[in-house]
Amino acid sequence: MSALGGGAAGGEGINPVASVIALVIVLASVGIVFILYPAALIPLIGVIIGGVLISFGVHFVPVGGAPAAMGQAPGIATGVAMLAAGGGLAGLFGGAWAAGHGLWIALGAGAMGGGVLMAITCLMVNVVYVFEMGIPAASGKVDKDPITGDTYPAYRSQGTEGHGLPFISYVGGVLGGILAGTGGTLIYLQLLAVYQGAFASWVGITPEGVATLAVSLAGIFAVGMFLVAAVLTAYNITGTIEGPHDPKFKRWPRAVIGSSAACAACGLVAILLVVI
Amino acid sequence: MSVKMEASAGGMDHNKLLAIGLIGALICIYLVYLNTLMSTQVFAFFGGLAAVIALWWGTDSIKKLCSYGLGTGVPSAGMIALGSGVVAMLFATKLAVISPLLVPIGCVVVAAILGAILGFISDKVLNMNIPVMTRMIAELTVVGSLTMLGFTAMVAGTFSFGSLILGSISVMGLAIPSYAASVIGGCVIATIFMLGAIAIQHPFNACLGPNESWDRTQMCALECGFLSMITVAIMSIVFLSFIAVVISFVVSIILWGWSYSELIKLSKRDAFAWLDAKPIREVGGEQ
Repeated sequence: MSALGGGAAGGEGINPVASVIALVIVLASVGIVFILYPAALIPLIGVIIGGVLISFGVHFVPVGGAPAAMGQAPGIATGVAMLAAGGGLAGLFGGAWAAGHGLWIALGAGAMGGGVLMAITCLMVNVVYVFEMGIPAASGKVDKDPITGDTYPAYRSQGTEGHGLPFISYVGGVLGGILAGTGGTLIYLQLLAVYQGAFASWVGITPEGVATLAVSLAGIFAVGMFLVAAVLTAYNITGTIEGPHDPKFKRWPRAVIGSSAACAACGLVAILLVVI
Repeated sequence: MSVKMEASAGGMDHNKLLAIGLIGALICIYLVYLNTLMSTQVFAFFGGLAAVIALWWGTDSIKKLCSYGLGTGVPSAGMIALGSGVVAMLFATKLAVISPLLVPIGCVVVAAILGAILGFISDKVLNMNIPVMTRMIAELTVVGSLTMLGFTAMVAGTFSFGSLILGSISVMGLAIPSYAASVIGGCVIATIFMLGAIAIQHPFNACLGPNESWDRTQMCALECGFLSMITVAIMSIVFLSFIAVVISFVVSIILWGWSYSELIKLSKRDAFAWLDAKPIREVGGEQ
């Protein structure tokens, strides 16, 4: 569904030349950072991995868009960018609060933040669908739930692509929230480490000053990069996806390539901030 | 390959609009530099004007981009514009270490490069195959960064990194430098981010449809921009002198009032054109 009702774009398959160029952008960014500011090499790689996690995770999230709001398609009734921002940013904030407890605990907190937000969202979406709109959950893409084995065709209304939020989509949503939350937190933590290291060497800056500036800058950069990676993934999905069982899920490699290149370019600019 | 749906015929040529938007926004941001030259803060409101001019141009870019089926709705284009724009803009403010005059132009150059990369990724790597995509994403990133830079200049009265990270708090009449009381340290920039994002993603999203007309959409963009500008003027109370805040606030209120009354007039005009029930106009393109 496009805004103006035109056919959604996005062909299948991978464009090999463009993908190679994207990988060259990744390598060039890593190379430039290695030459100009070697201390930030590992953080940049962390940022790229974070982008990959976000991009892969967003593919799991059941996005229904406007058709879902009318009960004509399964999924959560809003756009990819908004859902990813909700789930991922909740994870990012969860992880940021735990940043003082070390990398793994912070990443775990980020994953839980994103996962819990998506779990609550999916639950409440189904409450609204079942008890307020009066529609059962039925997938349009598969006849049998891959996890529970429930059959769907008998519950699918004519003229729709399914409706509600089937169990597999719920699981996909939680997995997506966990992955995207981890990715967002990873980007934040890596940038935080770069800024804390760089600002500490400034003349006349207090330790509180270092902490305040590093947290603010890393936070706003992480939010920016998160949105870039999430929107690029949304463009890859072109609208709606039901979850890991949807045929569109197979498109994830090119979103991963694209998001890694985008996060490498944005991460390079964010790291160059401390070089000049 | 997606199908193009013509959003609205007529209106200003996009290249002309781009030129006005880019040059107008740059001039307005440079006018904020008068603050530093003349040791005052009263020129801060030019930052807001720069942001509104950039938003006015960005709305047309979004319209051109969303004439093709993106599949994700209009707001996603606004989010990618501001998400990448904030990266370019914060980097550009650091160029003030070399020369403050480099900041606005550096912001445009860095944002254009970043936007071109993102546009290329969406168009070719993700196989969107939309002819105008690379150019429009690059334009939107420039718009996003100029919006952020303009509003930041308005809230702080300056656009150099050194001044954006160091504010001051008053303790018993004594001004003590504080990093937490600054635009970046206090994360005022996050609020500016959302104010800019709402202003860029709302106008076309609100006005699209078979009855969309160019002047109404553009006026809606101005109205959203000035509305954000009022909020930024209120936020600048923390950073600027009283007289500078009053000037910013009065300018924003007057311009918002004007744009809102114009928008209502245009809306009434378009509503009147549909007074007698007619079949929905075909906007062309093949499904």
